[in-house]
Amino acid sequence: MGHRIKADNLALLYRKAADKFESLPAFATRVSALDWKPVSYRELYEQGADLATGLIELGLKQREHVGIFSDNRFEWILCDCAVQLSGSANVPRGRDVTDDELFYIIDHAGIEIAFVETVELQDRVLKLKNRLPALREIILLDHKAKEKEGVKRLEDVCKLGSGLRAQGDKRVEDRISAIKPDDLFTLIYTSGTTGKPKGVMLKHSNMISQVRNLPGYHNCTDRVLSVLPIWHIFERVIEMYTLSFGGCTFYSSIVTIGEDMRNVEPTFMASAPRLWEKLHERILKGVKASHPVRQILFHIAYFLSRQYKNSEYFITDKYLKMNKEARLKRFLLMPLHILRWIIVLPWYGFFNAAVLERIRLGVGGSLKATISGGGALPIHIDKFFNYMGIPVLEGYGMTETSPVISVRYIKDLVVGTVGPPIPETEIRIVEPETGTVLYPNPNLPDNGLSQRGEIWAKGPQVMKGYYRDPELTQLTFKDGWLRTGDLGVITHNNCLKILGRSKSTIVLSSGENVEPEPIEMRLQQSHFIDQCMVVGQDKKYLSVLIVPGISEFRQAGLNIRTMEELALNADANRIIREEIKRLTSTNNGFKRFEQIKDFRMLPQSFEVGRELTNLFKIKRHVVEQKFNHVIDELFANGSPKNN
Amino acid sequence: MEFNTQLLYAHDQALLAVMIFVIMLGMGASLTPDDFRAVIRKPKGVFIGFMSQFGLMPLIAFGLATILNFPPAFAIALILIGCLPGGTTSNMFTYFSRGSVALSISMTTASTIMALIMMPILLKLYTGGFTAQISASMQLSGGEAEFVIPTMNIISSLILVLVPVAMGMFIRKHWPDWAKTAEDTAGFVGILVILYLLLTAFIRHGHLFLQTPIGVYIGAVGLGLAGFFFGYWFSRLLGVYPLFQRAISLETGIQNGPVSFAIILLSFSEPVQSQMVWLAILYSTFIVITSSVITLRYRKNGRKDWDIYKNTSIHNRLFGESYVTNYPQGFLPKRLVNDPSQGTQPSQKKF
Repeated sequence: MGHRIKADNLALLYRKAADKFESLPAFATRVSALDWKPVSYRELYEQGADLATGLIELGLKQREHVGIFSDNRFEWILCDCAVQLSGSANVPRGRDVTDDELFYIIDHAGIEIAFVETVELQDRVLKLKNRLPALREIILLDHKAKEKEGVKRLEDVCKLGSGLRAQGDKRVEDRISAIKPDDLFTLIYTSGTTGKPKGVMLKHSNMISQVRNLPGYHNCTDRVLSVLPIWHIFERVIEMYTLSFGGCTFYSSIVTIGEDMRNVEPTFMASAPRLWEKLHERILKGVKASHPVRQILFHIAYFLSRQYKNSEYFITDKYLKMNKEARLKRFLLMPLHILRWIIVLPWYGFFNAAVLERIRLGVGGSLKATISGGGALPIHIDKFFNYMGIPVLEGYGMTETSPVISVRYIKDLVVGTVGPPIPETEIRIVEPETGTVLYPNPNLPDNGLSQRGEIWAKGPQVMKGYYRDPELTQLTFKDGWLRTGDLGVITHNNCLKILGRSKSTIVLSSGENVEPEPIEMRLQQSHFIDQCMVVGQDKKYLSVLIVPGISEFRQAGLNIRTMEELALNADANRIIREEIKRLTSTNNGFKRFEQIKDFRMLPQSFEVGRELTNLFKIKRHVVEQKFNHVIDELFANGSPKNN
Repeated sequence: MEFNTQLLYAHDQALLAVMIFVIMLGMGASLTPDDFRAVIRKPKGVFIGFMSQFGLMPLIAFGLATILNFPPAFAIALILIGCLPGGTTSNMFTYFSRGSVALSISMTTASTIMALIMMPILLKLYTGGFTAQISASMQLSGGEAEFVIPTMNIISSLILVLVPVAMGMFIRKHWPDWAKTAEDTAGFVGILVILYLLLTAFIRHGHLFLQTPIGVYIGAVGLGLAGFFFGYWFSRLLGVYPLFQRAISLETGIQNGPVSFAIILLSFSEPVQSQMVWLAILYSTFIVITSSVITLRYRKNGRKDWDIYKNTSIHNRLFGESYVTNYPQGFLPKRLVNDPSQGTQPSQKKF
């Protein structure tokens, strides 16, 4: 890890990176598949300093909040750089922000200067402006667009600053030296899964601790592909981390990701589970379309890899250990696993080289690791990629912890968990109702391993609090610990496993608590089910709302035009019913009360910004409200229609 | 040592023939005419490789056979293996050792053609003493015949082996999907047949393992290892970049095993044939293990220079041919300072 830059704050990180990496590319923007425009570390810093000086000239004060309303693009990072260099903090949000949120954020954060990406956003902010007296300056990022009256262009502000710097303006340097580790670098408003946006205050020291503590052995030959929304803290931490070791961030998009992976051959990337689900689907499709002999070779390869890796996980003690295991059992099984490992090794070696490498080339072939976060990675996807030899490291965290609390290390890769806590971070497992500490607790067997409860975290990455909301801040912290609201358990090899969100827990009328996520993930393994949400709070049994995969039904021979038609189709209903039965049967480890008794197909899919957060988490309360009538109908008779 | 048992039955020979056919077909399926043109475009690396393959390797084989006091038939087989061209196996190992696959392929194609001329010359040069020993022992046991290396037969078996290669190339050109299948299958079939031969040899002629002098085992293992070692240092001393060095090293040590079977079966007869086949089996078995180990080692050691090469060439691919990647001072190893692209991008050369 010796290559990482150490700095006390993000402004210094930008400056030190420029001094060290000079002309190496820091960011690259896609023009076409094989034509990318690089910006060097030096250029980034100089342009950032110009813009910062320009902003200071426009009256930007130290520790002021600056809005950035934009999706991923180089100008975003330029604005961020300028904001850090001027000692202020930014309030980012993507293009999909609603007018209500926009108003709430600008007003609540007291934003005086705001960057807007597009003409469309500019117009929307202008419309709100008369209700926002504090908002003084609007700066347009898109250099191709035409600005309206009262709006400044980004390059003009840059020019202003560059002129001043040429005359010896040193205000940026003064601002940088005045930054304290406790100063905010950003204020992130999370829409979260419930309620009105909350302003998470993150300090320079939060981000710097993440840059210091993230796992990985990267250096300035690394290429990082960026697909997640930049205003989300997970993507941002990866970009700052990349700056610290001198890598180049390539801005890709969901549409071009497949192509970009092959051309850029990234060595590292941050990703959400959805991306891996898509890639998984694509790989399997590719295999199905290939020559029959090669299909067979693939299946042999996958089989061998599974045998090999499972034995390896057992031997190295890196498998999901939810419960304590008898020493004797391990002792007896060990020789069998060693034997299997040795027998499979040469075959695995050959097939890994000849067959699996081709698959890996499909995702660039150079990935040292990828971190998946922002939602639970379905276990079968997780296993698939790790068997393939693509190390998917699942991490866990939240905006409030900027964001990483724990992540799997390559050397500590326990599939099914989110790894051990990162350095300097402590985790507690707490009984949510009573507040009793379950882990670490010397009075419980094994110090509280395998006890289920709410996860509490403490460490240098934990936020300062919620902006202008001391009550909520007080509720969220308890004795200096952050209550995450997520349920988890520490496994017997000291990894954290996430069990679900305590707030999404469904309590049935029988008093049984059900975590809907594992059931939903299980159901989504069916090709016929695109998305789904389990419901049943205070009811006798569980039911599920299903967004069917219409193209799969068409492939299965159903002559269907619309989703509405599909929802009423008897064959489709039969197929879904069978799928649910097959996937969630008690044979598959689901308890009796976890059985799905009824379902409804929805006429439309869940969309980001509407029913899904930007990281594809279901906003349960939104879905519940929107499909209120469907849910009511599901439980209208008090007993399921088809049993 | 008596070595009279017939090692291969007719059906084994048929199996071997099928294996040779499949593997050479797979080799052809991985080649395009462009690979041959590449040799002419960038002859320097191929020339160094040529010196290493046909200069060093036969000499190593001869040296080992002499030092370890090989029985003459084994010695001839070892030298024969030392004179062989490279195969596709080396390309795969080069790929995983983070070496230059392009150079490996160029060397394979060049050496396969050059073997037609070089093998007869080299065999004549190095096997003289051993053939005389065989002739002497044959005359002792009452025979009149004189043992000579069947040069013309060797050349014609080499040509015969090139037929499936040409067929493979034809398949590659017209049915690329089948070509990929042929490539994948070839490696698999190769391993299966070698294992089968080993297993049957063990079951039918367990005593063979004991009868074989320990020196022969050392020679069979050592030939590949010495090839890797000398290939590596020879090219390193000539100032070749690490990327090419690993390719030359592996290409030197890994010979085209199936071709040796073809030549031995088609050109030699008893009393030497069985012993020669036995040595070829031993070499083919050990080379898979030794090259796996060496590859893992190269892969680890080559991580940094490979990452630099990859990054530099991807920058050139995406930012334009004339883009120059400047790494921070002290980051590049001394040997890469002038050209982090390791001779693959003209724009990187600043001196």
